Amino acid sequence: MTASATPRATDLALDVTRLVFAYRRSTDQGEQPFTLRVHELDLAPGEQILLTATSGTGKTTLLNLIAGILDPDEGTVRVAGKTVHAAFGAERDQLRGRHIGMIFQTFHLLVGFSAIENVMCALLMAGVPEREHRGRAKALLDRLGISRIDARVEELSTGQQQRVAVARALACDPALVLADEPTASLDPDNAQVAMDLIQQVCKEKGAALLCVSHDPTMLARFPRHATLASLADATPGNGGTR
Amino acid sequence: MNDFTIVLRSLRARWFSTLTTIVTVAVAVALIVVLLTLRNSGKASFERGAGDMHLLVSGEASSTVAVLNNVFYANPPRRPLPWSRFEQLQAQAPWEYAIPTAIGDSFRAFPVVATTPEFFSAFKPAPGETWRFAEGAAFTNDFEIVLGSAVARRTGLKVGDTIYLTHGWSKASQGATTQGDADRAGVTHDDDDEASAGPGGTHVHREFGYKVVGVLEPTLTSHDRALFSSLQSSWLMHAQDRREADAKGEVAQSTPADLIDDDKKITAALLRLISRDASDTPANLPQVFDQLRRDGTLTVASPSQEIKNLFEIIDQVNRVFLAIAIVVLVSSAISIMLALYNSMEQRRRQIAVLRVLGASQGRIFNLTLVECAVIGLFGAVLGIILAYVGAGMASGVLRQRFGLIIEPSIAPTVIVILLAVTTVLAMLAGLVPAIMAYRTSVARNLRPVA
Repeated sequence: MTASATPRATDLALDVTRLVFAYRRSTDQGEQPFTLRVHELDLAPGEQILLTATSGTGKTTLLNLIAGILDPDEGTVRVAGKTVHAAFGAERDQLRGRHIGMIFQTFHLLVGFSAIENVMCALLMAGVPEREHRGRAKALLDRLGISRIDARVEELSTGQQQRVAVARALACDPALVLADEPTASLDPDNAQVAMDLIQQVCKEKGAALLCVSHDPTMLARFPRHATLASLADATPGNGGTR
Repeated sequence: MNDFTIVLRSLRARWFSTLTTIVTVAVAVALIVVLLTLRNSGKASFERGAGDMHLLVSGEASSTVAVLNNVFYANPPRRPLPWSRFEQLQAQAPWEYAIPTAIGDSFRAFPVVATTPEFFSAFKPAPGETWRFAEGAAFTNDFEIVLGSAVARRTGLKVGDTIYLTHGWSKASQGATTQGDADRAGVTHDDDDEASAGPGGTHVHREFGYKVVGVLEPTLTSHDRALFSSLQSSWLMHAQDRREADAKGEVAQSTPADLIDDDKKITAALLRLISRDASDTPANLPQVFDQLRRDGTLTVASPSQEIKNLFEIIDQVNRVFLAIAIVVLVSSAISIMLALYNSMEQRRRQIAVLRVLGASQGRIFNLTLVECAVIGLFGAVLGIILAYVGAGMASGVLRQRFGLIIEPSIAPTVIVILLAVTTVLAMLAGLVPAIMAYRTSVARNLRPVA
C-alpha cells in the first residue's frame, strides 16, 4: 500500500498483494517449474483492466488464484473486501459464487441445460432464493439479446453461447468479473460485438472487469493495461496500481 | 431451479446409460418381487388348504402323506378306514364337527371327494370363510355332484349336466360327460357302453350318472380342483364292482340295501374340536391328539403343523432363489457404479463449472449420490410395475392352463422396504463415483476444450 490516494482495501473490488505461487507448468520441453508473482494489483468497483500476456505464461493460473480455485504460497487476495484464501471449503465456494463471475474462452456452458438454466444454475449455486431465479435470469438474457432462452445451449450459435456465458457470469451481480480470453473462440466481428457487450454490462452492473487476452486489438478498449511481467515488478507505477 | 434439476439434466444427458442402468435395476427388483409374491401366495394357498380343521385322521403311512393326499389331493389315499372306525371316532372327543371323506374316484383327472353335506355346512375352506356357490347348491341326494371352481372352468360343465366318474385316478383317465338331460341317452364317447377299462386299472362307471347340482366360487385352495358328492354314492359304485365281480357278470343297479360293511370305507376324517371364543387352539387338543394316536391303525395329523413343515422345506428352495435375486440386485448396483464411473471423465468439466458457480465439494458429492439414488428408485419402481404386470400375466396362464390359482400379492411394507433397500444400495454404489466427483480438480478441468 504505497500511495495514500489508494482507496481503502475494503472498498476495492479486487486487491492482490505480494502473491507468490510456485507450480509446474507443462511446456514443449515437458513439465517445468515456474513461479508466478504479483506484487500488487487492485481494481476499484466497476474498473476495467486488460492483462496481456502470451499464452502459457500463467494468466489462467492467476485468475484461478484470484477465484480461490488455487491456493497461493504467499500473499493475499481480497475480493469485495473479503480475503479469499482465509475462507475454506464451502465458505470459499460461496464467496466465489456470490462475488466473482468467470467467463471462459470456450464458455464452459452446462451442456444439456437450456440457456436460462445455465444462468439460473449460477443463482442456485450462489444461494439466491429459487423464486427469483427465472425472473432474474430472463431479464439478463433479454438484456443480452437471447430470445431462445429455453433452447439447449448446444443448439445456439457460438455468438449466442458467448452471451449466455456472459449472462451467467453476471447473474449474481458479482463485484468482479474474470474473463479469460473471452473472444478467442469468435470471429473478429463477433469478438468486437461481444467485448462491447461484456464491457457495457459490467459497467451497468457495477462489476469490475479483469480481462486476460493476447489480442492486441483489445488494448484500445481498456483504460488500464498490465502484463504479467509488469505485475511481478515491485516498482511503483507498473500498471498493477494506479 | 433446484439441485434436483441438475440431477435430472445429468441423467438426461446420458439417457442411454441411464435407461440401461434403470432397466438392469428393474429386472433385479422384478425378480425379487416375483419370488416374494409367489412365495407369499404359495404360502397363503398352502395355509388355506386345511381350512379350520384341527386334526386329520386317516390310515395313511405318515401324517405328511395323509395331509398331501387328503387335503391337497396329491395322490389317491391307499389305506382306507372302515366306517365303523369313524363311528367310534365320532364319540371319542367333543367334536364341533367330524366329517368323513373318501377319495378314490376321479373325473378327467380331477379328484372326487365323497363326503357328507356337513363338508359345506360345518367345515370352512379357510378360517373365517364359508363356502359360496356360484351356481346351484350343495348335494342333498346320492348321485348329485358339486364342482370346484377350477373344475367348472376347465370342463365347462354347469348345473344340470350329467357326468360319469372314473374309478381310480390316472392322469390319462377320461371321465365321460353328457351335456344336459337331452343328450343323456345319446352316445357321448367312443368308450364302450359298459364300464370301459382305462390305464392303471381305472374304468368309467357308466352305470351311475352324476347330476351337477352346484358350482363353487373360487376358494384359492386345493378344493377348487375337486368334485364333491355323497359318501353313499361312492359306496354304491364300489358295491356294484364287488357284486359284478362276485357274479362274474352284469347285475342290477346297486341300492343302499346291497351295501355291506366292506363297501363302507372312508379315507380320512376332518375333525374340529369345540373351542371357546373362536380360539383356534382348544386346550384339550394335545390331549385328544395323544389319545387318538394310541390306536396304531390311525395316522393323526395336525394339518397346520404339517403345512408349516412342508412350507419350511419349500422355503429352503425359496431362500436359494431369493439369495440369487439379491446377488442380481447387488450386481445391478455395481452396474450403477460402473455407469457413473465410466461417465466421470465427461462429468468432470461440468463439476468444475458448478464449483466455479459456487457449489461446494459436499454439494457435488451429494448431487452424485442423489443421481444414483434416483436411478435406484426409478429402477425399483419400474421393477415393481414389471413384476406386477408379469405376475398378473403368469397367474393368468397358470389359471388358464393348470387351474392353479396364484394371486399376486405382496405386502405394502415389503414394497416400501424394497424401494428403500434398492435406493440405499444404489447410493452405496454411488459412493465411489461421488468421491471421485468430490475430488475433481477445478483448475485442471477448466482448461479450454478443443
